[in-house]
Amino acid sequence: MPVRAFIDSDVIIASLISQTGASHLLYNNTSQITLYISNVSHKELEKVVGRLNLDLHKLAARIQSTLHVIQLAQTIAEIKKAYQDYVTDQDDAHIVAGAKAANAQFLVTYNIKHFVANKLKQDFSIILVTPANVLQYLRSR
Amino acid sequence: MFCLVWYKLIMKDNLTYQKTYTPAQVAAMLQLSKNTVYGLINRGEIIAKRIGKVYRIPASSIAFVFTGLDDDLVKAQQQDLEGINAIEKELARVRAGL
Repeated sequence: MPVRAFIDSDVIIASLISQTGASHLLYNNTSQITLYISNVSHKELEKVVGRLNLDLHKLAARIQSTLHVIQLAQTIAEIKKAYQDYVTDQDDAHIVAGAKAANAQFLVTYNIKHFVANKLKQDFSIILVTPANVLQYLRSR
Repeated sequence: MFCLVWYKLIMKDNLTYQKTYTPAQVAAMLQLSKNTVYGLINRGEIIAKRIGKVYRIPASSIAFVFTGLDDDLVKAQQQDLEGINAIEKELARVRAGL
């Protein structure tokens, strides 16, 4: 059974920039891992891709072909309040909300220090990892 | 003086060579038997170089012992990390405005 992983936006952007980086390698393992983003992270991805002059079509194609989009019903303010204990920066709260809504086993990010790893594990059984860590895990299954 | 300069050049070149280990050393590190390590070498799970009658195993073959990651994943991660600061900066700006 594939593992479920919620992917932070920094990992998605990194995968658009480098085809040989660890972020991009995640997409080669879709038989073992199901990748999620949320409607909120979809919105921010489009903005960041625009600001970094990356290819919006490439992002759209990536989302359509490999990523599952979870819909978060709460407002940003509600999400920040509900998940403030799981992040060191409240602006990142929607990532935790998305990981929880996706029932993810892993939250994949390079922004490790912005999340409270032990509380994520304790309360939601979500493991905070970098892309290379989850790839290493998949090799050992 | 020339000998000193030549010596320093040789040593500096040697320092860039990757460290290698014997099967016995790798067995101790991995808490496996030497026979198991030879088996892993034969199956290609540990890449080693046979020199005469002995094997030497480069550090990259057992990179995960030092980094927790296979060598290719260390390199793949490094590729991503080259541009990550710029990504995080723009992401932080966008998130603050959501």
